[in-house]
Amino acid sequence: MKLAIKELLYSKGRFIMIGLIIVLISWLVFILSGLGTGLSKLSTGVLSETEYAGMVLEEGAEFSLSKSSVNRSLAEEISEQDGVTDTAPINLFRNSMRREGTADSDAKITDIVLIGVEPDSFMHPEIVEGDDWESSEDNQMIADASLKNEGYALGDTIVLDDIDKEFTITGFTEDQTLYHQSSLFLPMDDFQDLRPSQGDAEDEAETVSGIIVQGNDVDLDTFLEGETDVEFGTKEETINAIPGYVAENATIMMMLWFLMIISAFILGVFFYVLTNQKTNQFGVLKAIGGSNGFIIRSVISQVFILSLVSVLVGIGLTYLTVIFLPEAMPFHLEVSMVVIYSLVLLAISVLSSLFSVVKITRIDPLTALGRGE
Amino acid sequence: MSGIELKNVTKRYKENKFEITALEDVSVRVKAGEFVAIVGPSGSGKSTFLSIAGALLKPTEGKILINKQDITDFDEKQLSSVRLNQIGFILQTANLIPYLTVLDQLLIVKKMQGSVSKEDKAFARQLLKDLGMENKENKYPNECSGGERQRVAIARSFMNDPDIILADEPTSSLDTERGHEVVQQMAEQVKTRNKAAIMVTHDERMLDYCDRIYRIVDGKLSEDVRTQKETN
Repeated sequence: MKLAIKELLYSKGRFIMIGLIIVLISWLVFILSGLGTGLSKLSTGVLSETEYAGMVLEEGAEFSLSKSSVNRSLAEEISEQDGVTDTAPINLFRNSMRREGTADSDAKITDIVLIGVEPDSFMHPEIVEGDDWESSEDNQMIADASLKNEGYALGDTIVLDDIDKEFTITGFTEDQTLYHQSSLFLPMDDFQDLRPSQGDAEDEAETVSGIIVQGNDVDLDTFLEGETDVEFGTKEETINAIPGYVAENATIMMMLWFLMIISAFILGVFFYVLTNQKTNQFGVLKAIGGSNGFIIRSVISQVFILSLVSVLVGIGLTYLTVIFLPEAMPFHLEVSMVVIYSLVLLAISVLSSLFSVVKITRIDPLTALGRGE
Repeated sequence: MSGIELKNVTKRYKENKFEITALEDVSVRVKAGEFVAIVGPSGSGKSTFLSIAGALLKPTEGKILINKQDITDFDEKQLSSVRLNQIGFILQTANLIPYLTVLDQLLIVKKMQGSVSKEDKAFARQLLKDLGMENKENKYPNECSGGERQRVAIARSFMNDPDIILADEPTSSLDTERGHEVVQQMAEQVKTRNKAAIMVTHDERMLDYCDRIYRIVDGKLSEDVRTQKETN
């Protein structure tokens, strides 16, 4: 260990070069990871931030909330099924909003997702600022905090497109985004009155997009047999059905892992060249009695120290970058991800030095005599 | 008897289809406190001799005994341990580790044996002092002159308190004056610390410091007439 550190300090220039590569790679890995998490939150937040087992949706809706409509009275029956602990109907449609009284001006219109949930269900959003809906008052909304970046504040009065009503933002929640848009939450009863009427009003009041089911080992087989036109999708299936989510996520993951693989090769080659340059040195150590184990331990601990320091610098730079990122940028760095990718990067560096280890065991101590006879 | 003994050692190399005999039926015995020189032109088998004596290479035939222990059939790991504990090597161009200070060059030997104690540090300092290097402890090899580097190499070879000292052309990179100094100091250390030492060289000027001189020509070893009587 000491030997490793002494060499690191002595040949600073050379090791700073390699360290810099690891710093840049880890920096990029963390940024990509943060961007990936941020984007997937933006795309799936309302669902992915909620604990649930699955969802009962309309058959043929391909597990997509936006294409589905079911009768909310089904919730009662679902609640009685094996493994189900709770249910919550959810209803949503996309719309756009603007501040009250700006209809004729050039003021910005913001796309949003309107979501109706039962006030006492587990889908009720957590308030981080402001107040909950007052049951005595109508037309109150809880907005996702990302709308603050669009200039909205508590108490603002807003109007929705094509809906002849005014709403007040009473509270903010966070990480509640869907389809890359901010959510506006309404109590289910208010929500059901919003939709432009298309006929049977009574039936319409009972129609929701889906029913979210909580529980362990949920078994809805008997229920589904008795019902036509509905099906059950797991949490994963319903999240994957969100338009664009899978493609977006897969692209970023592919970039991340390619980066890791490339870095493994770059570092492997670097360490190999370094080992090659030190063949004579290792030969001398062997000639004066150094065992393979001693030399290999020294080399690996050197790679480990170098990578550890570099990855830590990479983490530092990443958090520094976050400070300068614009608020609206979908960037979310999860500590668990940073830890996982750091460990992967460390493992990659150490593994990539294993080529060199093979090389070291093959060095003949005779090279120390410095002549081939 | 402590010391090193080579008994009827032969080494053959295969090169393409030809067989080259690098050493032929070489026998030599060096006791503790003896300083022996092996002289010969290049290609005469000097290096092969030193490699075999230094447990770096196995002979085709014959036996090597170090402190009466037959190491001929030792495996790579055991040979490495023999080199670490019983042999001190002084290599041609000093071959110091570039990123270690003069003191650390010596201590690394102890490190490879396990750990470095206070006594080891004191011993290393004493060795450096004996060789006139007490003010250079914290210098790196590139800050030392050729003679100084070679003296560090000598000190390093004594560091593990070996029974055998093997030197491979220790003066090849030094001028005459420095060469004499280095070999003289080596001889002194061999005598005071009672080691069995073999120096391979082609430098005739250095032979005055040696107890016995062997000449090696085409892999055959014979004792020089000058020293033959004394040993008999």
